Amino acid sequence: MTEPLIDSATRWVVMKTAQVAPPNEWYASTRDIFQTRLETFLSRTQKSVGDTAYLLTAIVGEIGNNSFDHNLGQWSDVPGIFFADDINKKVIVLADRGQGVRQTISRVMPQIATDEEALMVAFTQVVSGRSPERRGNGLKFVAQIIKQHGWLLTFQSGNAELKYDQGRLFPVCKLQMRINGCLAIIYY
Amino acid sequence: MKIHLSQFGKLLISRPSGREAYLVTKAYLLSQSTSEVEIDFSGVQVATPSWLDEFVTPLREQYGDKVRYSHTDNPSVQASLEILRTTPSL
Repeated sequence: MTEPLIDSATRWVVMKTAQVAPPNEWYASTRDIFQTRLETFLSRTQKSVGDTAYLLTAIVGEIGNNSFDHNLGQWSDVPGIFFADDINKKVIVLADRGQGVRQTISRVMPQIATDEEALMVAFTQVVSGRSPERRGNGLKFVAQIIKQHGWLLTFQSGNAELKYDQGRLFPVCKLQMRINGCLAIIYY
Repeated sequence: MKIHLSQFGKLLISRPSGREAYLVTKAYLLSQSTSEVEIDFSGVQVATPSWLDEFVTPLREQYGDKVRYSHTDNPSVQASLEILRTTPSL
């Protein structure tokens, strides 16, 4: 089920305009719905991976809530997030059709000119597009947990992809396609 | 003053809910006579730095090193407190 799951999220975020939300079982239109889905996710994942489920749920929670934190009131079209997982293949997919990382980061760092730079800053520096509100350490936390456990994270926004694998951050690369918003895939 | 975080839920994830938890705590649980705060994580299954930043940071600003933690065995609690300690938000 993994490839269709990733394909479905990818198709949704590369569409120029989307008029349809993802299938209901993979869609959280509001933060409250996402919270409920996280509770179910934790319960299912605990049976499979034990206490590791707590950290997985925490990083999924950070990524998903980032989508709401930075896009409320200004979604491109379909609000909310794509959130799905395959417990057998140990993969989690999150996506949104928000403003994308470069748009939010460049609000406080106007010198950021590319999606590649924006992703690197988002994951390695304490900075938030919602400055002067005090925030900005969520993705650093995600990066730390991913690295410590040797999990694979690919995070795409605009035409760039950032990847952590086996404890290492790979050079940010350019994508052939354009992601409207963000797409995160975690293998654990 | 002991604050049982599980009163706010078992999954402490988003900034808005952390902020709300702090405001309720400030309004109803803390008083002028409060001199120290113990944050008890019993029953918390998942905590994120975002939630804890909204709840713990203003308490630390007010009470300094009189804020203590208890029952922090959960791995997400430990990792989140560590990131708050080493990578404070701006």
